[in-house]
Amino acid sequence: MRGRRLTAPAGAASRRLLADVAGLVSVSAFYVVVSVVLAGLWRAATAHGPVAGYTGRELTWYIVTAEAATCAINPRLIEEIGDDVVSGAVTVEMLRPAAVGGVRLAVETGRALTRLAVLLPVGAVIGWTAVGPPPDATGALLAVPALALAVAVNVAMQHAVAGISFWLRDTRAAWFLYQKLVFILGGMLLPLEVLPDVLRHVASALPFAAMAYVPARTAAGHVAPGLLLVQAGWLVVFVVAALAVFGAGERRLQEVGT
Amino acid sequence: MGWVPDHTAPAPAIEATGLVKRFHARGGEVEAVSRLSVTVPAGERVAYIGPNGAGKSTSIKILTGILRPTAGDARVLGLVPWRDRRRLAARIGTLFGQRSALWPELTARQSFRMLAGVYGLDRRREDRRVAELGELLGAADLFDDPVRGLSLGQRMRCELAACLLHEPEILFLDEPTIGLDLLAKTRLRELLVHLNETCGTTVFLTSHDVADIEHVAQRVVVINAGRVIFDGDLTALRRDLLAVKRVEVGLESPAVVPDLPGVTVEEHTDTLLRLEVDTARTTIRAVLDHVLDRCAVGDISVLDPPLDQVIAQIYTRGGVR
Repeated sequence: MRGRRLTAPAGAASRRLLADVAGLVSVSAFYVVVSVVLAGLWRAATAHGPVAGYTGRELTWYIVTAEAATCAINPRLIEEIGDDVVSGAVTVEMLRPAAVGGVRLAVETGRALTRLAVLLPVGAVIGWTAVGPPPDATGALLAVPALALAVAVNVAMQHAVAGISFWLRDTRAAWFLYQKLVFILGGMLLPLEVLPDVLRHVASALPFAAMAYVPARTAAGHVAPGLLLVQAGWLVVFVVAALAVFGAGERRLQEVGT
Repeated sequence: MGWVPDHTAPAPAIEATGLVKRFHARGGEVEAVSRLSVTVPAGERVAYIGPNGAGKSTSIKILTGILRPTAGDARVLGLVPWRDRRRLAARIGTLFGQRSALWPELTARQSFRMLAGVYGLDRRREDRRVAELGELLGAADLFDDPVRGLSLGQRMRCELAACLLHEPEILFLDEPTIGLDLLAKTRLRELLVHLNETCGTTVFLTSHDVADIEHVAQRVVVINAGRVIFDGDLTALRRDLLAVKRVEVGLESPAVVPDLPGVTVEEHTDTLLRLEVDTARTTIRAVLDHVLDRCAVGDISVLDPPLDQVIAQIYTRGGVR
């Protein structure tokens, strides 16, 4: 029964997403364009040999996977949570017998995983058409749970960050910064191995790598199963952080109102 | 002083004593709720009204647990709302006319599934409740259409079903008929009364629509400047608190306007004389004697003023006489 408090909202969010066919087509089209362009660039860059240990084929699968991980997320999630705090929508959610943060995490994770399930076959077609099958069968299989974890970590961290809107109200700066950090330090545009040594070490130690780099390098055949455990660790950290921030935010709203 | 339970009487659904809520504002502190006390027995239909900024929303937020008062005590269904918010939420329903609990892309039934999960209902209980509510609200045929395709009146019936899914003991309604057409408003009001009479659900209604108050409420609580300025039934609100009556005289021939203290002429034609009488200054009997002596009366009636006029005067005065 307790599980249904989370699975029911996640399931409804998934059905809601699938009912919005136009939205899914637009996300898929964006995903195709970005993946094709970036994969093409990387294939050109590797025409004379591997870059940072990645061949053109590997980088194509890297990009297709990294873009799927990020396109599956609502790009304005942090901003929208901030708007909901300010507009009083979160206050209304406090009238339900469940933690606002918990239900919101379930809804967004359900939505993101459904979007991912739609993008995955699209990505497989792009990769296969461009360079043939994934370089490594084990990597391809492990990339699926790594993608699911990547999406879940991203959703949880965005909730933890967006929680500042209970105090600061305007989250646009946080959203802008977060997005850029995922772009660069998350390995969305390029493998972390391409970065200078110091930056690479910093990026590897940050949670952003769990959101794109880990599933992408796994799909590219650079398999390191331990990284999935790191993803799981970040997931626990950010779920706990998001729940704590929302819990504190709810208590603040009880004191000051909206 | 702390709240002391009365073990001899059945627990009221809502009991608030001396509630105060102050907010920090730029110019200092603002007291939105000021020593507000109200008690609502279980099973009653109460209209909770007041002008904009009177403290209605703030006090409702306190009573539903989403706002903590600066001072005062409250028990709703025996729980302290701001301390037991989630436990209370499982036992109350809220319907805000301008906020939807339903997702527009989904059918109402699909949204009910999500809400049933959040409220901890198992599938069997959820199915039973959806069937019961479909019958009770005459809305079963609406539950499988996407919500975005429903008219506002149909959607509000689905919203009502959504907030009744978990069988709440108290229903907090904020402007439930806003934007509805006349027929949809009438239907929703009838449903609220029916629900109260068949299920015993306590109804706590806020509305600026006087007809909502007249057709739904058994009792009216008027608040202004954060405190209760009237608490009684509709008849008392009209009869006792505004000592104003309307006298309508059908004339058989033209008549002279009576000159009495506290009597003002609202309308005067050759066939109709409509007077407003301040009974604190002149009795109705004196007015009737005066009119019957001096006019050729075909018909005469003494009426209470319309409720909207009564309420408007209470708001204007900030209290009652």
